[in-house]
Amino acid sequence: MLNIMMVTLKGIFRDRVFQGIMALAVLFLFIPSAASLSMRQVTELSVTLSLSLISFILLLLSVFLGGTSLWRDIERRYSYSVLSLPLRRSSYVLGRFLGLALFMLLTSTVLGLASCAAIAVSSTLYPAERPVVWGFLLLALVYATLKYVLLVAVALLLSTVSTSFFLPIFGTICTYLASGISQQVYEYVHSPAAAQAVSPMLKQAVTVAYYLIPNLAGFDLKLNAIYGVAPNPGGLALTAAYFLTYTAILLGASILVFNRREMK
Amino acid sequence: MYALEIRGLGKTFRGKKLRTVEALKGIDLCVEQGEVLGFLGPNGAGKSTTIKCLMGLIRPTVGSATILGRDIASAEARTSVGYLPENPAFYDYLSAEEYLLFVGRAFGMQGDLLSRRCEEVLKQLELWEPRRRLIRTYSKGMVQRVGLAQVLLHDPEVYILDEPMSGLDPIGRALVKEIVLDLKRRGKCVFFSTHITDDVEKVCDRVAVINHGELKVVDRVENILMRGTEGYAVSIAAADGSVEERVVAEAQLQGVISDAVAAGRSILKVEPRRKSMEAFFLDIVGH
Repeated sequence: MLNIMMVTLKGIFRDRVFQGIMALAVLFLFIPSAASLSMRQVTELSVTLSLSLISFILLLLSVFLGGTSLWRDIERRYSYSVLSLPLRRSSYVLGRFLGLALFMLLTSTVLGLASCAAIAVSSTLYPAERPVVWGFLLLALVYATLKYVLLVAVALLLSTVSTSFFLPIFGTICTYLASGISQQVYEYVHSPAAAQAVSPMLKQAVTVAYYLIPNLAGFDLKLNAIYGVAPNPGGLALTAAYFLTYTAILLGASILVFNRREMK
Repeated sequence: MYALEIRGLGKTFRGKKLRTVEALKGIDLCVEQGEVLGFLGPNGAGKSTTIKCLMGLIRPTVGSATILGRDIASAEARTSVGYLPENPAFYDYLSAEEYLLFVGRAFGMQGDLLSRRCEEVLKQLELWEPRRRLIRTYSKGMVQRVGLAQVLLHDPEVYILDEPMSGLDPIGRALVKEIVLDLKRRGKCVFFSTHITDDVEKVCDRVAVINHGELKVVDRVENILMRGTEGYAVSIAAADGSVEERVVAEAQLQGVISDAVAAGRSILKVEPRRKSMEAFFLDIVGH
């Protein structure tokens, strides 16, 4: 598993994905000047822009790396030589996942440092009324990373069932979009206001979808980082437990499906 | 214990519109340790499907198989196998050396042993100079040689090679033949698929012919060649030094030799004239 994880990491670096991220990270240089356009909330805006840019980059990585990792091995016929080694397929899937997760962690660390530098410059140039709480910023980064690592697990699961890259890539994008609003939709259909407008069948369908689709809303700690509001420790623990459980279920399902997959 | 034991192996693929294709129809085949078996068949006969079943890449629909007594369904069965896929492809963002280290670790090799074996096989396959170049910069023949290097790396007891000569130039083909013969001398089991009959004739102990998913013949190469004997070419030298070449049937051979000797002529050469392995193969597959 460690062997596959290292090869996965090496592949990402050799394919110059990291260099591409570094090129995007140049945008952090513009954050202080872009944030200064907001005359009164320069620091807050720089935190918002930094976290949003990191989220965007991590989203791209989770969709494209997660969605193409297994598919590429099968498409380019690498799987014949690798899966015929005395490796269990579960080790292969987990090794791939851990390699991708490690890369996401590394990326968010590097981008996190860049964002800290950008926010520090902004808050030095335009001191804020409310000082930046670096601990909350770190928490927001950690939970954003967990959110996209979970999305990698979704992409991997879709890769194990698909023979093309369409399902993993577009399926992951759809999951991401749905996961951001599933909580609101669930709350709406169960509200008294929707009692007349929503049929019981639709309500059932929404409930099933709500439990199936990952709920990523809890991972969003941007507001806490921007306004220095302490997050609820119980909520954080619950979200971490949710991440572990949901990721474990996704990986378990991926292994089950991939174990049955034939390399024709 | 057989190196490879295949019992009633069958594979049915489900295609589109609920159509089914029976790619393998109950194959029974055993290969001894120290034996080289050529798995001969035309394109689409079921050679690669059999091999993929053995390597755990696809699951047989019926039947079973073992490698050195271990069931093919377990990853452990592959610990004593070196497998070369047809038209192999390896992580092309790695160099040959890095790929071999990756394969060696997968086989549980470590430290000095792994480094030493890497060096040996890279030199043997003439990949020592370009070992640090990425595989994506290699020619097709070089990739095939990387495939052979990763097969030889952990010195397994069983070698399963799917079309090992494919994509190689004559020098590369000669190298592969030399490697297979060397493995044979060292008592290893080699199971290789091919549709090139000449390869089988030169390096194999036995041949198995598969067509339309059915095993048609399994026999020793010399038996097949002997059965295909159509006569003998006899060179007879006369007293004046002239040489007469005659082709005679097996039944007449003894008489022709006796007559020549009685007439004071000498026999220079007697060579069997026989059907080639290719003719035998074409007979079997019905061409």
